[in-house]
Amino acid sequence: MLYLLSLIALAAIMAPGLTRLLGARTGWLLMLAPLAAFVWFVQQIPLIADGGAVMQSLSWIPALGINLSLRLDGLSLVFALLISGIGSLIVLYAGSYLSSHAHLGRFHAYLLVFMLAMLGLVLADDLVAMFVFWELTSIASFLLISFQHDKAVSRRAALQALLITGGGGLALLAGLILLGGATGNWQFSSLSAEQIEGHVLLPAIIALVLLGCFTKSAQVPFHLWLPNAMNAPTPVSAYLHSATMVKAGIYLLARLNPVLGGSVGWGTLLITFGAATAVLGAFLAFRQTDLKRLLAYTTVTVLGQLTMLIGTNTSYGLQAFVLYLVAHSLYKGALFMAVGAIDHATGTRELARLGGLIRFMPLTGAAVALAAFSNAGLPPFFGFIAKEFKYTGLIEMGHIGWAVTLVMILTNALLFAAAGLVFLQTFLGKRGDYPRTPHEVGLPMWLGPMLLAIGGFLLGAWNAWPETWLVNNAVQAMARGPVDVHLYLWGGITPALLASLMTVSLGVLFYVMRDRVRRLLDRANAAWNVSGDLIWDRLLKRVFHFAGLLAARFQHGSLRQHLVLLALAVGGLLAVGLVPALPQLLQGSYSPISPLGLAGCLLALAGGVAAAFLPGRLTLLAALGACGLGLALVFVSVNAPDVAMTQLMVETLSLIFLALVFRKMPTVPTSGARAPWKRRLHASVAILFGLSVTGALLLAVSLPLPGEIAQWYQANSLPGGHGHNVVNVILVDFRAFDTLGEILVVALSALAAASLLGTGRRFGNEHSGEDAFTSPLLRQGLRPLAWLMMAASLLVLWRGHNLPGGGFIGGLVAACGLILLVLTYGHGQIRRVLPVAPAQLIGIGLGCAAGAGILGLIAGNAFLTGLWTFPGGLPLGTPLLFDIGVFLTVFGSALHMIDKLTGVRQ
Amino acid sequence: MEWLAAITTGGLAGLGLWMLLDRNLKRVVLGVVVLGNAINLGVLTAGRFFGERPAFVEAGNAVSTANPLPQALVLTAIVIGFSLFIFALALLKRTRELHGDKTTDSVSSITEQPAPDWHDSEHENDASGAEARR
Repeated sequence: MLYLLSLIALAAIMAPGLTRLLGARTGWLLMLAPLAAFVWFVQQIPLIADGGAVMQSLSWIPALGINLSLRLDGLSLVFALLISGIGSLIVLYAGSYLSSHAHLGRFHAYLLVFMLAMLGLVLADDLVAMFVFWELTSIASFLLISFQHDKAVSRRAALQALLITGGGGLALLAGLILLGGATGNWQFSSLSAEQIEGHVLLPAIIALVLLGCFTKSAQVPFHLWLPNAMNAPTPVSAYLHSATMVKAGIYLLARLNPVLGGSVGWGTLLITFGAATAVLGAFLAFRQTDLKRLLAYTTVTVLGQLTMLIGTNTSYGLQAFVLYLVAHSLYKGALFMAVGAIDHATGTRELARLGGLIRFMPLTGAAVALAAFSNAGLPPFFGFIAKEFKYTGLIEMGHIGWAVTLVMILTNALLFAAAGLVFLQTFLGKRGDYPRTPHEVGLPMWLGPMLLAIGGFLLGAWNAWPETWLVNNAVQAMARGPVDVHLYLWGGITPALLASLMTVSLGVLFYVMRDRVRRLLDRANAAWNVSGDLIWDRLLKRVFHFAGLLAARFQHGSLRQHLVLLALAVGGLLAVGLVPALPQLLQGSYSPISPLGLAGCLLALAGGVAAAFLPGRLTLLAALGACGLGLALVFVSVNAPDVAMTQLMVETLSLIFLALVFRKMPTVPTSGARAPWKRRLHASVAILFGLSVTGALLLAVSLPLPGEIAQWYQANSLPGGHGHNVVNVILVDFRAFDTLGEILVVALSALAAASLLGTGRRFGNEHSGEDAFTSPLLRQGLRPLAWLMMAASLLVLWRGHNLPGGGFIGGLVAACGLILLVLTYGHGQIRRVLPVAPAQLIGIGLGCAAGAGILGLIAGNAFLTGLWTFPGGLPLGTPLLFDIGVFLTVFGSALHMIDKLTGVRQ
Repeated sequence: MEWLAAITTGGLAGLGLWMLLDRNLKRVVLGVVVLGNAINLGVLTAGRFFGERPAFVEAGNAVSTANPLPQALVLTAIVIGFSLFIFALALLKRTRELHGDKTTDSVSSITEQPAPDWHDSEHENDASGAEARR
């Protein structure tokens, strides 16, 4: 079974490519996948008929105990045969129906994905796996309904279907989880009624499961989406929205009937909703003049009747359910395909314009005739047996049964008349007024309806066959106890036969008086004056409106308000948490203050204050520099020379960039919002934030440092990483993967920033760029300094593993040196000094770093494991290569940005 | 030393936030740097300032050195902060070129223009719904 599913999935993946190669004939090839499935399922019939079941399981999410377990029993088999059998014909049909469509391949793919999901749904034994397939059918249905997505109607119908079935799906998920939780069982096959009997959650489970099933199977009041879904291409309507997907809800009802059917509410609910759906569907169907919509509403009726039959829980009722399910899938699939063929041939589906088609389309006509007879429930068709059993099943129920039987007779009479409309009015009578001259359709298009219709006939005429092989086991699977199955065409003069006769005579009456009945229904509708679609639209509009209102409250577009809220939340929460910890903050043991550290802190704070409040441009630059410099002093005082050097270099480069950009901008006014209350608000938020950050940090450092990680690094740096500088060893060896990600970020943001910086007014010549300094003193003095810095950077890189330095610092120092040259001599210096473009330098750097990792991989170790050789006592290793990569990336990034920034005259 | 660093961190964080809340985009960009400084100092402080010497080890003698891990983290954070700052600066420059001087809030009104395929009329009346009912 898993192989079959994989085969269909494979066909779905290959469908677009194959269709591009083979065009409209792809259907013949693609149908092989569902056909193979069909053949396999047919081969399983004897096994299943003996009461066996085929099981297969694949561990899916073992941590949650979810398996992709499949189980083929009587009920699944009936569905699987329908899905794969009708599916094969539909794939063939679709290839011909949409032969001229540009996206036929996509259509095939969607169709096969749906088939996969639907087969998975009926085969799945695991509750969760079943639900996943269930949702997948909703999504596939959405894609198929909206296939002609250039039409607003299709898009709306698709969205409506998705929202209704998807919403129901959520309820179902909740229901299934409750069910699984209450019973402790997640397999359908091991669920039983005793496990759940009298459980406090039972009503909730029933309500949620029913909600899911009713939305999927278009029961009142969720029936709205099904007729609208007829905007999909006809193969979809025939397959999804009559034969298979809409039966998914019915399938689940049948599957859970043995478990949940015991409670009183279950049967009552099913019969009530089913009957309401059946009646409403029949009336609405009779009003339609579009053949396809007419069939859609009769489908709603049938779904209602099926739901009702499960609710009866009598042996005849359940038999009728299986019979009717098969009969309906066969004839409705055939009718839909035939309607598509009629549409294709004549260009219209309006009843008023059709008639006398049998002369032009004899084969389609014959198929429709057979299907319509089955639809009308006339002997010896399968539909007749189904109808007989329906009546018997309902009458067995007693008083309620009789009432429901009357409803049933009425709806069946309407269905009978509708069948008359479909066949008699379309194919017989006088010639219609067609937009196009009709012609018989090709083999792929009449084969499907014909085979299905003949199937319906044969199953009815030789009814011993389905009884023995199919119906019996399907009924056993969904019944609450053993059931004796015996099918017959003639059961003597029974109440059911009388009901049948009544149905037929009433149906004939309806057909003959069809115009009057329609007028009556129209008048009733005018008086009733409720349009489900209108309510739906209004509801949806309300939801959008509410969502918009809610979003506007939080997404108001003011960055400052967002920030205030964020800072208030963080600061407030921290402050609340910190108050009880205040005594501990004062008792913490802290390391002594060094004078350098104190100076640094004061300088940083002073710089920060100046940057925050003063107006101007150069002032701010200086303030920012002071802040960074102060920080560097602090880093020196706490024994972090590497960090201090990095900070110093970065601060220098930042100021250069800032100066270059700010130079062309107006001066910055004094800070603070204009309105005093806003200023006060911002100030208090900032103070609260600062205080809580201080408090949180103090609390953190007043506690002892957990773990021994610092000691581990200190102990392993030399033996493991061959380096004395622990910080550098961490960067290029222990946590090299981290560093690789970080230099990637640096490279990416440099590339992004450079493309933004490089815009501005260009004066024809690409090489013009910014003006250079003209002072001879500067020009002569700076060149040696710059070269010295670049030479020193290499030294810094080399010794970094053992002494302060490394790739990051080296790269920054080198960049500072070269930028000095650029500022003095102009933009052209970069290309004069470097053989490659800075952007390429970034690439080479990243390549070196990644290459160092791959070398470790090649040697059979983990990615980025250090490899060392000692030629002549000189320690060489992949971490060094990695550090060179870091150097080049940082160097290249800084240069790339300055290259773009100074490359144009601002 | 830790408490001094913590106070400096808090002070810089508060100042950085104040700058981010400013109307002028240029000061906002500077605020990114100041807040970044605060965070870097904060991370380093959280690693405690123990040890008499920088984190350099010699073979054989175990001396108490500073905590190397936060130093490594902060070192890369500084470089990343630098590239982030330049990116913010580039955005500032480009915004000014395209839209002139903007206050913080009016920037969002530019960037939050409705998507090109958004049609108000579709949501005002029930055009699509009416079509479907036809």
